[in-house]
Amino acid sequence: MFTLVVGGAASGKSGYAEELLLSSPCPPRFYLATMEPLDEGCRARIARHRRMRAGKGFETVERFTNLAGLRLAARGSVLLECLGNLAANELYSPAGAGDRALEALVAGVEALLAQSDTLIVVSNEVFTGGSSYKGNTGAYLSLLACANRALARRADRVCEIVCGLPVYYKGGPA
Amino acid sequence: MVLITGPLYSGKRAYACQLLGCGPEELEGRAVWEVQTLAAHCGDLEGLADRLARYEAVLITEIGGGVVPADPEERAGREAAGRLGCLLAQRAERVIRVFCGLPMVLKDGGAWD
Repeated sequence: MFTLVVGGAASGKSGYAEELLLSSPCPPRFYLATMEPLDEGCRARIARHRRMRAGKGFETVERFTNLAGLRLAARGSVLLECLGNLAANELYSPAGAGDRALEALVAGVEALLAQSDTLIVVSNEVFTGGSSYKGNTGAYLSLLACANRALARRADRVCEIVCGLPVYYKGGPA
Repeated sequence: MVLITGPLYSGKRAYACQLLGCGPEELEGRAVWEVQTLAAHCGDLEGLADRLARYEAVLITEIGGGVVPADPEERAGREAAGRLGCLLAQRAERVIRVFCGLPMVLKDGGAWD
């Protein structure tokens, strides 16, 4: 079962996705973290999410780029958090895929699907604030939107989280 | 008229082609898109909505989700775009929101308001 969970900032998407992972009947439960600890802000965010996950029995795996190269220690359930970070890493990080970022993201998710019985991918809704951004933010928006659409096609279930509540566009709550 | 709304790059045009059963070339005559850009500097939004409603499908990108722009002109344009969306939804028989390429019906079968 592959579920794509999309939501805006602080919409409750992480909490909902973690609930889905907890209710998955297939242990072990891997939490795949994607945020590179680049500065104090990132480190504080990472610490906050670690506190949220504490005691839930998740096995945390960190991966910043080249998801397709990741081999999980066992077959089980995976929560990937989040595609927005991974897209930025692939596009901007020296170790990232650059022009081939979309292919890297899609291949990465395919690799996870091959290694798990339950996959939950968290992604970001950042597409209703207009398009007049400075720099090459447009390239990032386009990349993440293409990745979201590709995964939505592939997923069994797709929901948007609004105020912590899921709105299903495909499939439905179990 | 069918109003197709959704975030940026959400797959609205691909969905319109699917809905009308046509390719991207034919879409030009039957549908109009990015209509939110027509709202800025438009003195008569009702008239604009009436004219757009003659198309089979009207596509609008949601742009009101970010922080209020500091620039007054951008702010006014964004406001007008939101209002145009509401006026079009009133005129539409069907309103569909496309999210990550997936359609959700927001209004169906309603007569012209």
